[in-house]
Amino acid sequence: MNKSSRIWRITGLLSAVSTLLLILGFLYAVYDMTVPANQASKAKPETGVQMSVAAAAPYDLTAIGDSLAKGTGDDTGKGFARRTVELLTKKDKESQLINNLGINGLTTKALLPMLDESGVQYGLKQAGIIILSIGGNDLFAGAHGYKNSGELPSAAEMDAAVAASGENFKQIVKKLREINPDAQLVYVGLYNPFADLKDMREAGDRAVAHWNTNVLDTMNQYQGTIVVPTYDLFTNNLDRYLSGDHFHPNGEGYQMIAERIVQSIALN
Amino acid sequence: MVKALNSLLLLVKNETIKMIKKKRFYVVLLVLIVLVPMFAYAQMRESTTKREKFGADWRREVQQAITDNQNSLGSDRVPEEWKKYRKIYIEQMKYYLEHDVNPIQSGGVTFTREFLNNASTLFIPLLIMGVASDIVSSERTAGTIKMLLTRPVRRWKILLSKLITLIMFVSLIIVSTLLVCYLVSGLFFGYGGFQLPVFSGFQLNGSEVDMSNVHAVPQWKYICMQAGLIWFVGITVAMLAFMVSVLVRSTSASIVIMMAALIAGTILSNMASAWTSAKYLFMVNLGLTNYLSGTPAPIEGMTLGFSLAVLAVWAACSTIVSFLVFTKQDILN
Amino acid sequence: MHHGTQVNDEIILSVEHLKKRIGKRWIVQDVSFEVRAGEIFGFLGPNGAGKTTTIRMLVDLIRPTEGQVSICGYDVQKQPELALGLVGSIVENPEVYTYLTGWENLEQFARMMPGIDAGRLQEVVDLVGLDQRIHDRVRTYSLGMRQRLGIAQALLGRPKLLILDEPTNGLDPKGIKEMRSFIRRLAKEGLAVFVSSHLLSEIQVLCDRVAIISRGRVLAVGAVNELIDTSKGYVVWELEPSSAGEEMLQELGISIIRNADEVLDDAIIAGFGSRAIVTQMQADAVADIVPRLVNSGLQVRSVQKIIPTLEQLFLEMTDGEGVE
Repeated sequence: MNKSSRIWRITGLLSAVSTLLLILGFLYAVYDMTVPANQASKAKPETGVQMSVAAAAPYDLTAIGDSLAKGTGDDTGKGFARRTVELLTKKDKESQLINNLGINGLTTKALLPMLDESGVQYGLKQAGIIILSIGGNDLFAGAHGYKNSGELPSAAEMDAAVAASGENFKQIVKKLREINPDAQLVYVGLYNPFADLKDMREAGDRAVAHWNTNVLDTMNQYQGTIVVPTYDLFTNNLDRYLSGDHFHPNGEGYQMIAERIVQSIALN
Repeated sequence: MVKALNSLLLLVKNETIKMIKKKRFYVVLLVLIVLVPMFAYAQMRESTTKREKFGADWRREVQQAITDNQNSLGSDRVPEEWKKYRKIYIEQMKYYLEHDVNPIQSGGVTFTREFLNNASTLFIPLLIMGVASDIVSSERTAGTIKMLLTRPVRRWKILLSKLITLIMFVSLIIVSTLLVCYLVSGLFFGYGGFQLPVFSGFQLNGSEVDMSNVHAVPQWKYICMQAGLIWFVGITVAMLAFMVSVLVRSTSASIVIMMAALIAGTILSNMASAWTSAKYLFMVNLGLTNYLSGTPAPIEGMTLGFSLAVLAVWAACSTIVSFLVFTKQDILN
Repeated sequence: MHHGTQVNDEIILSVEHLKKRIGKRWIVQDVSFEVRAGEIFGFLGPNGAGKTTTIRMLVDLIRPTEGQVSICGYDVQKQPELALGLVGSIVENPEVYTYLTGWENLEQFARMMPGIDAGRLQEVVDLVGLDQRIHDRVRTYSLGMRQRLGIAQALLGRPKLLILDEPTNGLDPKGIKEMRSFIRRLAKEGLAVFVSSHLLSEIQVLCDRVAIISRGRVLAVGAVNELIDTSKGYVVWELEPSSAGEEMLQELGISIIRNADEVLDDAIIAGFGSRAIVTQMQADAVADIVPRLVNSGLQVRSVQKIIPTLEQLFLEMTDGEGVE
């Protein structure tokens, strides 16, 4: 057989086989996508698979909650989560950030279902320290935009928010304890970002104090929980510790919070 | 009948030998063998940096990706268009975590799947174009068309033999892409991962992600489906390039025309949305694999069926034009 | 020119009122002729006269606007598989696939017609004398070798009609000579050969019959010899004394050509003595004139009859339009 014929036989055969396979693949793809899953005998994936979780190291850390947990306002992007890890490392404690699950604008209501997600639970279970920051958005709802709109939440609105969100908060803490009963649960208390505004100072202070007291009541019902106060830090130092948006801490503010966290958690 | 088929087969044999001897296909293979290791290396570097952050723990990595995307959903600076993609991505990743399946497990098979997903709108069409743009116009450029058409064979038969050969090579190009990808990336990531489940069937319904159709597909099957869809895209692109090759005398001109069309497609897919009639253009419908992975279509109202229909119509029309022109055309030079 | 070929009456190629319009221009206006088995038929015309367009219509590369081409009775338009099976052709240059070897090229063409086996391939390769280099890539071939490969592919299907477009273009003198004798040999074997050329000498040397085309029209079709006979020839005299001889010829009513260099080929003029007298007259009359000249006391050194070239014919037919 000469060379041309060999080329033809090999190419012809390979391409015929390829074409056939590709056509089958195409038909299967169309079938797979057009016939609804419940009609076709398609393998529905099992749900609720239990993940195997490695034992949590004592200083591994997961932050969860709102923009403060995320570190919004910190120019370095570290937030108190990474800063805490750095401080612990400086103290020769082996520490790493497991996950930073902070989401901008998160409220207690939105956090609650999040705790059912397996990925979130996984991040929490891996941690020896869980830092929670929540509630700010419940109280100061819409306050983000105050610079633009000039509208601030009224005192009555804030009082109502404290009451409603308090219930959510109880459930959040309960769930967190269930997910990872061994970890140290650190709650970062609220401060009043509007302490320098005449109209807001009093109402804000009252709401924050109210909230923080509630939080303390809830947290005290569980073992291994800490509330880190921030109100006192910020109230007279807003210019120093707040970032340009007049709501979130700046890098220095986060650093102060991180230092308090490290001071208050159990080290051994 | 048998005789006619046999004479057609001999013509296809002629075209196949020419195609191989012209070394066009080798160029395609060469491009793959040079480029795929580069992609694989880049991918490896990326996963190494991620590993430094998250250790070997994919679950944390995936959860962090979810959180990061959730954060961008709240941002006003992120265009609404992109949020749609991210929303579906978040739901998909949550789903993977829920079923404790690693969506980012590195491996030759996973790399191949990812590569095919990204290659379907531009890379593979370009490879196909390189072969298709040349198949008729090169005969005209070289003047051999005169030798070809003065044989006692009807013109439509000659064109049909070229079309069949082209389809054969489209299949070969796609299968070789797949094989080269798997073999090369296996060197970097290992050769396993055939049975790994992939979740398919995510759909965006308004702003909600519809998960009623989600089901698990073993990765090897998923790749077969991808390859099949890309094949359909490839055939369409080949037939269009074929028509251009018949209409335009110079190979380079026909390559430029097709390339412009393809690149216009990727640009339109990114801007799109506002101009909804653009969905009838073939170039924005090349991402068939997106329907498989659940990535939302670039323009409202596009579904798998719609895209298949659009591509089929374009392919059919260009084939008809090719035959009408070629059989009537005067060969003046 | 007589080649002693056995031209029989079988009409191989018949072209009837062929016309082609491209855009608004009529490239070919009215072309009709017939080519019979065993003859070498010349198709003569300047570049741009419509030769190539006509040839392309013969082999179905261009479809005629009007008129009909049939080969052995098969209409090229309606039955191309039958008609083109009887034709071997080289249109313009022999363009083959340069990335294939000569043999692979022939294989390509063999697969496109029925009944051609490896034996036939070897036969045509031997016939054109390419057996040494046939397995080399065509890219490495000289023009002459490509031309031979072109002929080999044209002969592959045992055609009845061979169409060659400017077959000696670009060949060296030896190659031209070989090509001509090769074409003659093929015609002798009964093949009808259609040769186009813009070189009149080429046609004159090679062809039995000729069609002369200009501006898309056939001016004349006929045997090359007949066409020559219809033309007044030239006679060149060398007389002594020259001036008296010239007067004498004028008295006898013979027209003297002063601008000989314009109507005759340079090569012919170069052969004359400086005092040669060029006249235009019927060659038959020479026998009557010579005694008169001698009787008048003139010495006749030489008398030379010049056969008119097709250039001259062409000039006469077109009233001086000229070739090229």
